[in-house]
Amino acid sequence: MVLGPFLMIALTVGISYISANSSSSSRQVAVISDSAVLRKSYLQQHKSGINSKITTTAKAKKAMKANHLAGYLTLEASGAQLRGDYHGSTAMNSGLKAQVQNFLVQYQQLKNYQTAKLTPKQQRALAQTPVLKQHIAAKTGTSNSVKLISFWVLITMIYIILITYSSITAQEIASDKGTKIMEIIFSSTTAISYFVGKVMGILLVIVTQIVIYILGGWLGYTIAMQNSGIKKLVLANQDLVKGIFHNLFNLNLLYVLLGVVIYTILAAYSGALVAKAEDASKAAQPVVMLSMAGFFIAIPFQNNLDAVIVKILSYVPFFSSYFMPMRIINGTAGWGEQIGSLVILLAAIGLFALYIGRQYQRLMLQTDSESIWQHLIHSKRRS
Amino acid sequence: MLSIQHISKAFGPVKALNDVSFDVPNGQIMGLIGQNGAGKSTTFHSILNFIDYGGRIQWQGHTLSAADFDHIGYLPEERSLMTKLTIEQQIIYLARLKGQPAKVIRPQIDDWLERFAVKGTRKSKINDLSKGNQQKVQLICTLIHQPDLLILDEPFSGLDPVNADLLKQAVLAAKDRGAAIIFSSHDMEHVTALCDQLVMLRKGDVVLHGSLDDVRDQFGKTELFVTTDWSTERLQTLPGVGRVTARHQHRYVLHLTDASAGPAIFDALTQGHYIEEFSQQPPTLDEIFRLKVGEAHV
Repeated sequence: MVLGPFLMIALTVGISYISANSSSSSRQVAVISDSAVLRKSYLQQHKSGINSKITTTAKAKKAMKANHLAGYLTLEASGAQLRGDYHGSTAMNSGLKAQVQNFLVQYQQLKNYQTAKLTPKQQRALAQTPVLKQHIAAKTGTSNSVKLISFWVLITMIYIILITYSSITAQEIASDKGTKIMEIIFSSTTAISYFVGKVMGILLVIVTQIVIYILGGWLGYTIAMQNSGIKKLVLANQDLVKGIFHNLFNLNLLYVLLGVVIYTILAAYSGALVAKAEDASKAAQPVVMLSMAGFFIAIPFQNNLDAVIVKILSYVPFFSSYFMPMRIINGTAGWGEQIGSLVILLAAIGLFALYIGRQYQRLMLQTDSESIWQHLIHSKRRS
Repeated sequence: MLSIQHISKAFGPVKALNDVSFDVPNGQIMGLIGQNGAGKSTTFHSILNFIDYGGRIQWQGHTLSAADFDHIGYLPEERSLMTKLTIEQQIIYLARLKGQPAKVIRPQIDDWLERFAVKGTRKSKINDLSKGNQQKVQLICTLIHQPDLLILDEPFSGLDPVNADLLKQAVLAAKDRGAAIIFSSHDMEHVTALCDQLVMLRKGDVVLHGSLDDVRDQFGKTELFVTTDWSTERLQTLPGVGRVTARHQHRYVLHLTDASAGPAIFDALTQGHYIEEFSQQPPTLDEIFRLKVGEAHV
């Protein structure tokens, strides 16, 4: 399960590589011309995507029929005008079209200058082109991207962890239910110690998985940086990368961890409520639904952080793990608010664990067929 | 000493325990007998605080709490182990819950496996063991930390006579080192062989309580074991004889209506001559059990 994402990435990259290699020849274009100079000039300027071995129309047609060629371009210099004809099963893509167009314009211009017998000064004067430049406030643009990417990474991370582990946690707890080993355990330690230990164990598994992903991500990043293109891209966007890392490895990470803790406790409680181990996935549903509610409510509010509901939910345990990081990322929550929300979350975790710990022994040793709601009502009465 | 004082427990309208009281002194074995549903497991669950109950349970003079868990060895009625673990992992895991460090327990494991004749090594998976061997591993887990209070719910169920003897020896060894032991059983032979005291429960009520001899003596010496060449019909004519049961050839049990009829029967049977067997005894525990269960159905 832990290695699943790595295997998926390896599989996707592998298949893409094989697919790219096998289809590259069928995406090539041949260049054919009676003028060797003209053909050579084109081939010198454009090497990628060109099949230089095919030199005649007949061979090009044959290769196209065998699906080894996407098309062929014939270049012709008849008199003072240059002409290019493209023959293919589909239209030229915009890149190739621009490339050909550019070459024809340049070559035609050169030919025109020669025909007009212009002096170099006149040539330079005619070569003047207008200038259009965009001026964007780089900092604001990057900052918005940082916020957006950080937001999505964080809430997706919480959501995926919770969806994955809620049913596992419930299942793990429910599988103990009704077994006599629980009687032996409860004759050896307190239910609350066992419950906290069990939840801690599950959390350590989650943390181990997160650490493996972080290490895997770092390894992937190191390997990707060997590629000059990616390295150039990363260096060009250093502010963006730094900003995202800053947003992930601060108080937000604590919110993610505490969010996982409180949801894991709830999932464990759900597992303890079921009458049979087979019902564990059913028991995990309320936790999954609650987690989904947090995730889907957060999405529409990402651009409306001043809404009252966002402010309220950033203090409500189970939701604060989604909403407070959103506010922190966007700088709409002060330190006081962040600490206040954190204290409420921590207190809720403590009280919740204590309450469930007290009910845990009764719930685990019960083997009757009470429904989840009956258990809840009865355990509330007993407490 | 374990002291059970006036404990009561009801599940809805059903009374599982009704004012049950008894003591289990250190170095003694208490047998808890009764039909299924009599309240034996409920008594154990009350001692272990698994359920709420009325009354008081004390251990060594104080209310039993989590601090005493390390001194308790408990074997539940149905066996259950963590089947994915090896024998060693299972024993160490449960011993550590009892506050015993792995380095103390690990060197003892082979001795215990040998003592209980477990077919498997410390590295064997629980899942690969037979049911009987799993049960023996569970017994080792119950005993290895040398508990001062041993609670065994039907410990002999499923054990063959050889393994039952191994368990008896282990229980007696625990008694010798001063542990208070309470166990339930449907097999009166085991109870007779092991117990210093017994309590019989019937629908949550204590119907018998005391040492084995005291309990049997309550019923009078109404069983007369004789070996004679008299016929069943002739024995039936003796004064005070209610019923005659033939055991083997020439061996009979005379069920007396009046225990004081013994000397007269002795005179009639021997007429001053030697006879091989004449033994007047109280009813066996098995008979008392049937008698008490029968009373409930009258």
